[in-house]
Amino acid sequence: MDLLQLGSYTFSSRLILGTGKFSSAAVMLQAVRASGAQLVTVALRRFNREQAEDDLFGPLSAIEGVTLMPNTSGASTAAEAVRAAHIARELSGSPFIKVEIHPNPQHLMPDPIETFEAARILAKEGFLVMPYITADPVLAKRLEEVGCAAVMPLGSAIGSGQGLASAAMIELIIRESSIPVIVDAGLRSPSEAAHAMEMGCEAVLVNSAVAVAGNPPEMAEAFAEAVAAGRKAFRAGLMQKSGSAIATSPLTSFLGANG
Amino acid sequence: MSQMITIELNGQQQPLPTGSAVSDMLSIIGSDGKSVAVLVNQQIIRPENRPARILQEGDQVELLIFAGGG
Repeated sequence: MDLLQLGSYTFSSRLILGTGKFSSAAVMLQAVRASGAQLVTVALRRFNREQAEDDLFGPLSAIEGVTLMPNTSGASTAAEAVRAAHIARELSGSPFIKVEIHPNPQHLMPDPIETFEAARILAKEGFLVMPYITADPVLAKRLEEVGCAAVMPLGSAIGSGQGLASAAMIELIIRESSIPVIVDAGLRSPSEAAHAMEMGCEAVLVNSAVAVAGNPPEMAEAFAEAVAAGRKAFRAGLMQKSGSAIATSPLTSFLGANG
Repeated sequence: MSQMITIELNGQQQPLPTGSAVSDMLSIIGSDGKSVAVLVNQQIIRPENRPARILQEGDQVELLIFAGGG
């Protein structure tokens, strides 16, 4: 069976779903179920007794087969991300941590230096570190060397829907990487997710494209099908591109040929 | 009448009876504590230690939950 391996964990689904931006918790939960996602991201937030329904731990944990992957969103330094990871592990009981350090709210680009430092510390502490990074093959290799479980280069800016703008760099990361490469951020359509999988990504992480779709559960299902199709195509082996046409039918003339 | 202390809970003043433990505070604010991470003065207080951890005047308490995020 073709499984996604992250540390000692294996998953049959290669779609990781984010839980932000949904119109309600009920719609989000429907989308998670429809997606078949087995890894689901969550964020830490202060408890507010007036908004008790925002607490997603109970409802998400109740979905069979779902493992939580908390993120460190809100951290702007390595030290803050490490602290967030420790708190998140207390709550989730899961070793997964998405290291996400983006100090500038205008573009939300990840800080490579703080991300590397946080990843190094957390990997040493036994976390399964999943760093959100720009599509930089050098940084990706350095993160692999310090023991990350995967690298998660962005397709384009978070929530932008600009798709796989960094496709060429992601291909370089895949070529060099011995750990799973997971495209995280920027995807808008299932076809982009399929493209990422055909390139050799081991999984994709999608949030906004599902959360703000007209029908989030249906879009979640569409992404799941696209990810599965892209993976199957990658495994089947895509044909080589050619600069010229190569006929699929015989071109020998027969019309008007003298018998 | 028992004396009261005031702690800082998620940045806001919260009165509590003197001698309240972390677990008492959670009951007072209506949390079952199961899906809440508790930090007192930046130290994580695990569930098994909450009944024994007595809060003091001026303690800074943070309660964190999992909410939606990508």
